[in-house]
Parts: sequence; C-alpha cells; structure tokens
Amino acid sequence: MGNYQNMQAVKQDESGINLKLLHAAIRFNSMILGLTGGTMAALIIYFATQVSLGKWGADSGNYLGLLAVFFPGYSVSPAGAWIGAFWAFLYIGVFSSLSYRLYGKVLGTRISEILLSTTPTENPVLKPSIMRLHGMSLGLAIGAMAGLGLFCSTAWLVVRGTAEESVHAALLANYIPGYSVSILGGLLGAAELFVLAFVGCLLLAAVYNKVVAMRHG
Amino acid sequence: MTRPIQDHEILSAVFAKMDALALTLASGVLGAIILILATSILLLQTVPENYPVGPHLSLLAEYLPGYSVSWSGVMVGGVYGFLIGGLAGFAAAVYWNIAHYVALGVMLISSAELAD
Repeated sequence: MGNYQNMQAVKQDESGINLKLLHAAIRFNSMILGLTGGTMAALIIYFATQVSLGKWGADSGNYLGLLAVFFPGYSVSPAGAWIGAFWAFLYIGVFSSLSYRLYGKVLGTRISEILLSTTPTENPVLKPSIMRLHGMSLGLAIGAMAGLGLFCSTAWLVVRGTAEESVHAALLANYIPGYSVSILGGLLGAAELFVLAFVGCLLLAAVYNKVVAMRHG
Repeated sequence: MTRPIQDHEILSAVFAKMDALALTLASGVLGAIILILATSILLLQTVPENYPVGPHLSLLAEYLPGYSVSWSGVMVGGVYGFLIGGLAGFAAAVYWNIAHYVALGVMLISSAELAD
C-alpha cells in the first residue's frame, strides 16, 4: 500500500498533473505531427519534381536538382521524385516530431493555460474539444528547430567543402543580414531565423486562436 | 490557488481537433506576409543600373503565373501566398484530425480485443 502511494506521488507533480499521461500524450502527438509534416513534405517534393519534369522535360532540374546536396540519390527524374519524397518525409517528419516534443516540453505543466481557455470535454474520444495554440511555446519550438536546421545545413555545406560554390545558399543573406555559408554565418543565421520563426509562430497562433474564439466562443 | 488538472483534461488536449478553417486562414495570412515581405525586401534593396532584381525569386513565376519581383508582383504574390499557405494549413489540419481518428480507432479496437 505504501509503495502504491509512493508511485502516485511520483506520477504527479506538485500542480497535480499526471506527468506519465502528459508525457505519453506529447509522444503520441509528436508522432502524429511527424507523420503529418513528413507526408505533406513528401507530396510537395514528389509533385514539384513531376511538374518540373512535365514542364521542362530533359532540361529540368537546374535548381530543384540542388536538393541532391541534402537528399543523396535525388535527381529531377521519375525515380528521383520517389527518392526526394523519401528524404523529405524523413527530414520534415523528424523536424515536425521534434518540434512538437519541444512544444510539449516548453508548454509542460502550463498545459492548463490552454486547457482552461477551452472547454475540456468529459469524453475526449467521442466529442473532442477544439485545439488552441500557445504562441510562445510554438514560437520557441519551431524557432529553435528552424535555427538548428539552418545551422546544420550550413555546417554540412562547409564540411563537404562546397561552401565557396554555394552561391544559392548565400542568397539567404538578402533576408537574413549577416548570413554566410560558414560556421559563424550559420550561427548568426540560426539566431536570426529563430527570431523570424518565433514572430511568425506568434502571428500564426494569434490568428488561429482568434478565429477559433470567433467560431467556438 | 490553481486547481489540479484532471486526466480527462490532458486527454482533451491530446485528442483536441484542429479547427481546419482557423488554420487555413492563419496559414494563409502567414503565407501571404512571407511572400509579400520576400518580394518587397528585394525591391527595396539598391542594385546597380540594368541589374536584374531578384532573378532567383522571379523563377517562382514558373509555378505561379503572373508573379514577378515588382510592386505589382507583390500583390499577386500576396494572393498566391495566401492560397498556398491556406491550402497547406487546411491539408495539415485535415490530416492531423484524420490521423487522430485513425489512431483512436486502432486504440479502441486494441483495447476491446484486450478486454476480450
């Protein structure tokens, strides 16, 4: 009996949240978001490749083909479309999944903030409530992952020794002042992209929550 | 003092539906702003005489007829950005909701089998 009470004490934190359930919930939704993001990215790459092939035929692939730097085996060809879809699913799936994990971690026990503003239903299975977004947590999660993604991409170009030739990646400096295809430039770019993504997520969450409030009260 | 969060409230958050219309509009607005800013920033930069402005971003015209890196193109880009962002948001919301329903169905069937 004493052990059972200890387990109950471990299971819940001081605010009374069932942490085991909360962590399982975050893992479940991170998997779903990974599938969602990965599938959408795969479809986009597949159809972009097919459209490029249909429009320019043998001449296609000048710019889209640059994806081969990050997608080994990719080319603007029918087989390449499937390979590109695979890599896009993998990269964006992992990105989305990790983003949700981070979102859940940042939101953590403050889940009550979005729960209390919704109407938690007694039967979440048959009558689900409407999701609201927590802009700050979303911004921190997506911003951090986007920044990490840019830094890793830049570092990869440096490591493979093609930094000097990466003129297209360097064009990002138009939007991210100070960015360059170098480790230092990648760090600076990551920090700036974090801020841009953070602001973008705040806007996304604000508009989404506003429309939800208008439609569902 | 805050009240303890009940388990069913956590489950409500997990299985909460995404509002497809809200995400469509929010993603659309974000998409429009991104493409408007991306075009405007290039237009506001000083470039030498007879130097092409945004030759790479202009390639979007291959996929988005009527778009160009110009002030009129900013508005066209805004409309396309809204449409593409909105479509992506709608698809994401629908996929998210369907994935949850499927996962729920699998869980319910599994738990029913375990109960037997």
